[in-house]
Amino acid sequence: MKRDYTIEVAADNNFSVLNRIINVLNRRRVRIKQLVAHEDEHDFRKGGATMLLHTTPELIEKVKHQLEKLIEVESANFYEGSEVYLELSVKNNQKVA
Amino acid sequence: MDALLTKNKKSITSTAEPKKQISGSEALLRCLVAEGVDTMFGYPGGAIMPVYDALYSYSDHLNHILVRHEQGAIHAAQGYARVSGKVGVAMATSGPGAANLVTGLADALIDSTPVVCITGQVAEHLLGTDAFQEMDVINTTLPVTKWNVQISKAGDIAEQVAKAFYIARSGRPGPVVIDITKNAQFEMIDDFEYEVCKSVRTYSPQPILDHTKLEEAADLINVAKRPYILCGQGVLLSHAQDELLAVAEKANIPIASTLLGLSAVPVNHPLYVGYLGMHGNYGPNILTNECDVLIAVGMRFDDRVTGNVNKYAKQAKIIHIELDKAEINKIIPADVAVHADAKEALTALLPLITKSNHHDWFQKFREAERKEYEKVIQFDIYPVTESIKMSEVVFELAEQTKGEAILVTDVGQHQMVASRYYPFKHPRTNVTSGGAGTMGFALPAAIGAALAQPEKQVVAIIGDGGFQMTVQELGTIMQYNIPVKIIILNNNFLGMVRQWQQLFFESRYSFTEMQNPDFIKLSEAYKIPALKVEQRSRLNAAIHNLLNIPGPFLLEVVVEKEQNVFPMVPTGAGVAEILLEAHGTRQK
Repeated sequence: MKRDYTIEVAADNNFSVLNRIINVLNRRRVRIKQLVAHEDEHDFRKGGATMLLHTTPELIEKVKHQLEKLIEVESANFYEGSEVYLELSVKNNQKVA
Repeated sequence: MDALLTKNKKSITSTAEPKKQISGSEALLRCLVAEGVDTMFGYPGGAIMPVYDALYSYSDHLNHILVRHEQGAIHAAQGYARVSGKVGVAMATSGPGAANLVTGLADALIDSTPVVCITGQVAEHLLGTDAFQEMDVINTTLPVTKWNVQISKAGDIAEQVAKAFYIARSGRPGPVVIDITKNAQFEMIDDFEYEVCKSVRTYSPQPILDHTKLEEAADLINVAKRPYILCGQGVLLSHAQDELLAVAEKANIPIASTLLGLSAVPVNHPLYVGYLGMHGNYGPNILTNECDVLIAVGMRFDDRVTGNVNKYAKQAKIIHIELDKAEINKIIPADVAVHADAKEALTALLPLITKSNHHDWFQKFREAERKEYEKVIQFDIYPVTESIKMSEVVFELAEQTKGEAILVTDVGQHQMVASRYYPFKHPRTNVTSGGAGTMGFALPAAIGAALAQPEKQVVAIIGDGGFQMTVQELGTIMQYNIPVKIIILNNNFLGMVRQWQQLFFESRYSFTEMQNPDFIKLSEAYKIPALKVEQRSRLNAAIHNLLNIPGPFLLEVVVEKEQNVFPMVPTGAGVAEILLEAHGTRQK
């Protein structure tokens, strides 16, 4: 049964890192409902992306490991539902502002 | 050789000499030498010319092999890496040069082969302008590399090349692309220092072994009545052959191998029961569904191994020892997941397991083997047909080489036959394209294998279709007199596709029959001695010539046009539904 998941990815802020992250989701045909990507406010070499995904419990677990397999990705943590997404995306937007 | 390299390394990286400016191109070559690279494969072009110019002065340090196509360069680098265990290096120009590497990158990624590819790129100010031979190499190779990086400043070369080699060889190995803009190749720098990379902030290639998982694994193994080890390439990559055998011998466990795991366990070892998968041995497949504890080591449950996963080892407790966390629970859920390097895990597992004996369980493998012999093997190696069978060629080669050769195979029927019948004795003597199934792999890969192990005999077995996909590399073999022994098993068909057409598409042979050139004349045009065999009575002497005439040699064997490879697990079937013959399917 598919449901909403929030996934928070911490990574090095290299060129193409967002493409790498999206590639993993595309290959697995995971639906991306919303996405916010950001640069770390203290260190421009770090960054990350927060995404609202719609997928199955089995696939979110596999996607997490495939994201963490990317060299630039430090961690990929997921939470059930969209509440955390709203919280994290607002937080990251506020940092930029 | 090592002493020579060390000497070379010192002479060009010595810090005692006064510092002088060097170009980014020379910095790149110094990095390669510092990484222990002695052989590389490449093809020059506009955007990589400064590096090639620097290479002109580095021929004492780097043996560059000029291939005939960039795909040949990367497959040769793969063959070199697979046999030597070192990182293979290939180099190409921008645009089409880089694009021609893509097939090999995909192949190296899925088959865990450490390769570093260097591609030239247009100058930084031209990036994104559709300049001549400009292609977005980073995004093109992104899904087929373990990592890639674009360098546009000479000062970044040392750090990024060090990182590339570290990533390529550590953890689960894989291909890395370094795309260097032309301005960075020209740019002069005066503070070149090379430091080998030992860590990357966001990358943890060596997991910390969880001993509680090993205890759980040992608990299962110690009470198992029918334990069964599946050996994958991870065993070879972590040099864990001895540790695997130690565990298997102590607990008396049968071992079967995946396609890429072949050669990790000597085929004549008493615990070795055979080859897994779609065209693997009968017993190893059917008994997967009778074991009570399945111990998968360094393998990823490829669909060619599992068949229908809903019918795969449902009765068994699964122990999965695997370095790549993304492979654990990806296809087959593990009851005990040991996220670890195979050597480390097996070493720690050995004292936890108790001595055991599974005589009755082994008996089942022997019964299955007898059945397979009666139905398939005897007809494969001692055929009664008039025409020569692929299997008897491999069998004869096995007899004459005594299993001592490095076998490089392409993709298709001949590959499955070679994997079934060649008696691998030593680790890293099986080089083939597994996960990607890349036709055209064998000829260039054999070049790399022969350069990596010049003292060993390298035999490439190739079908007539695959041979023509990278046939241009005969030019490379000619130019450097590389002693590759080539056997073309010619059935004038794309044999594996034809077999499927026969079995599953009502014998509608849609575009699988091939009209081939005269392979002997073709070989002779490249000054490579060649021989064609059409009669069984001449096979023995022909293989003797192939192996004993010094230098490269091409042997074309005209084989039965419509030989099928059995056993076979049909698509969608479970491993226990493996067919020993074409019953139930529509024959021509």
